[in-house]
Amino acid sequence: MTSQRQTQKGALSPASPKTSPKTSSKAVSKRRDSIADELRRQRQRVELFAEVTLKIRQSLQLKEILRATVTEVQRILQADRVLIYQVLPDGTGKPISEAVLPAYPEILGMEFPEEVFPKEYQQLYAQGRVRAIADVRDPAAGLAECLVEFIEQFDIRAKLIVPILQNLNSPQINASIPENQLWGLLIAHQCSQPRRWDDFELELMQQLADQISIALAQAQLLGHLEELVEMRTAELREANHSLQQEINDRMQAESALRQSEEQLRLITNALPVLIAYVDDQQRYRFNNQAYADWLGQPPSQICGCHLQTVWGEDCYQRMSPYVEEALSGRAVIYETEIKIKTGAIRSVNVTYIPHLDEQQTVKGFFALTSDISERKAIERMKDEFISVVSHELRTPLTSLHSALKILTTGRLGTLSTDGQQMLEIADENTDRLVRLVNNVLDLQRIESGEVRMEKQSCNAADLMIQAIESMQPMAQQHEVILSNHPVDILIWADSDYIVQALTNLLSNAIKFSAPGDTVWLSVEYIDSAQSAKSSGARSVTPAVRRKGRKSAKSQPTPAEVLFQVRDQGQGIPADKLESIFERFQQVDSSDSRRKGGTGLGLTICRKIIEQHDGRIWAESKLGEGSTFFFTVPALQQR
Amino acid sequence: MATKRVLIIDDEETIQTVVQFGIRLTVGWDVITASSGPTGIDTAKTERPDVILLDVMMPEMDGIATFKVLQANPETEQIPVIFLTAKAQAAERRQFNDLGVSGVITKPFNSLDLPEQIAKILHWPLES
Repeated sequence: MTSQRQTQKGALSPASPKTSPKTSSKAVSKRRDSIADELRRQRQRVELFAEVTLKIRQSLQLKEILRATVTEVQRILQADRVLIYQVLPDGTGKPISEAVLPAYPEILGMEFPEEVFPKEYQQLYAQGRVRAIADVRDPAAGLAECLVEFIEQFDIRAKLIVPILQNLNSPQINASIPENQLWGLLIAHQCSQPRRWDDFELELMQQLADQISIALAQAQLLGHLEELVEMRTAELREANHSLQQEINDRMQAESALRQSEEQLRLITNALPVLIAYVDDQQRYRFNNQAYADWLGQPPSQICGCHLQTVWGEDCYQRMSPYVEEALSGRAVIYETEIKIKTGAIRSVNVTYIPHLDEQQTVKGFFALTSDISERKAIERMKDEFISVVSHELRTPLTSLHSALKILTTGRLGTLSTDGQQMLEIADENTDRLVRLVNNVLDLQRIESGEVRMEKQSCNAADLMIQAIESMQPMAQQHEVILSNHPVDILIWADSDYIVQALTNLLSNAIKFSAPGDTVWLSVEYIDSAQSAKSSGARSVTPAVRRKGRKSAKSQPTPAEVLFQVRDQGQGIPADKLESIFERFQQVDSSDSRRKGGTGLGLTICRKIIEQHDGRIWAESKLGEGSTFFFTVPALQQR
Repeated sequence: MATKRVLIIDDEETIQTVVQFGIRLTVGWDVITASSGPTGIDTAKTERPDVILLDVMMPEMDGIATFKVLQANPETEQIPVIFLTAKAQAAERRQFNDLGVSGVITKPFNSLDLPEQIAKILHWPLES
């Protein structure tokens, strides 16, 4: 609107001085023509101006705008040179865009010293001064001689200068605080001759300078905007990159997890064992393929189901106490029987491993169930075998044993000396066979766990007397004196087995004593403190030592009763003190045959004492004799 | 001590024989034999022995079944019964005791020692 108004104003003003006072019709007609011409010219100029403005505005690039401006101005004004001179902050300046006829020198890029364009000039231009100089040599133009000389080197005869102002505050047109700075000048030169610049030309130059100002503000905005866009783009690119990286990482992690899960599934599915994870609500969260094979229920069907639903009431009742224990944070191992899909009953070994989180809260447990039916079947076969052997061997042995004993009485007739000797050999070896069969079966039963110690309160003195009584005949036979020192102490033990241990030890002591020697049997009560001390100090067999240490460490060692069987025999070398408790390990391999032992007596003793949570060991001095010790738990009252 | 009468019920004839010999030789008690549960029960009814030595493992009617019949019969219920067995676990002994048998003698035994073992179980005075 502004440019239009100014153009109209400019269009009217040059018309007034041309008004003629004559009123003749010819003159009127001429005047009408003249006005019509002027109006046409005015219209053309308006159109031209609009066209130039449009061209300038087609670009947002300042350089392009400046180039278009000088080209168009040069074209319209038919000026010899049009240039845009940028004023630099230090007062100097240089033409940054130029349109010049080929006949005249280019001054584009040439730096102009400050003297050419002093500060006061700059201030005047900053306030909006426009200079139109028709002839630079005309003194009325008021140009200094030196300046005239300076500009003439560029063939400048006339020039038109309009300021290009830059609004510093805001790119918006701001009337209230007009703080304009001189950015540069739009200059038109006429080189060929002096030239009088008319109002239209002035107007055009001013309008275009305004357009350049707007373009400058827009360029500034655009620059700022581009900077912002660039910044935002960089930020977005960075964010996008991070996001992509995160996506990649997650995909990799997920892939690794899937692979790991797949491997785990493959492994667990390949195992002939039930593997499951049960949560704290007793619901299955994972099952391997074996569940489908054994129970006919695929893992997908079981997942989320309660144990009771999967196993049925009876089986659940059996497993429930162990489940409770696992969910209280303790690992559990037990054996039970389950019914599989075929209806068959299988013996299984079940292990529950509690799953604790970082706060040690039980989240569930892992359940491993393996089929031990075959092992159980073999165990049953072994037990049956032992039972059969036990009966089938013992019955004929009874007949043989008794028959020989009867024969040795001589009541059925007298044998020759040789016959008598043969009979004694048969008799002695039958005795030995009887002991061997008894020992083998005893040991087998204790080891198989078939035998459970029936512990009860019993008096140590009674057991000692019982053992001494049963060994008295043997002692007499070997002319060995048995010295018993019974004390009334209550122990917690299976009396039959303790008597068996005592008789085994007494039997050994008698066997390895010389006629006239004494074998002592004694007992003493050891309170907790002494017991703990003794458990570490004495030489004990490895298996028993572990037990002793465990109890000493985990809780105060309970009071114990210590039995001792001492002899005056040949003694046992130090390196044999432990091995003698192993089966068929005697000090001298000829001992077994010579002494009529079975090589199992001490092993049985050790098994019996282990079953009582006691310890057994031997101490010896070669040539002076040996002492066998064992402990069993005492009842706390004395 | 007055002569005792012992009934041995065992399917193994050699056992019967050695028991018979052993007891007769040591203390001179009468020993009557039977080879099966049913025969033993009949013999017990007719002979009324002072003690019955009863083998636990016998075909058809085992010692436990035989003992139950003996206990159920008023004619034989008072006769003390001692099991002869190859099984000698504490649990088995207790099972036998719970049945009400007087005692258990474990195979292999020496038949010469039987009178002493029997006397000890039944608290019979035994002359040396």
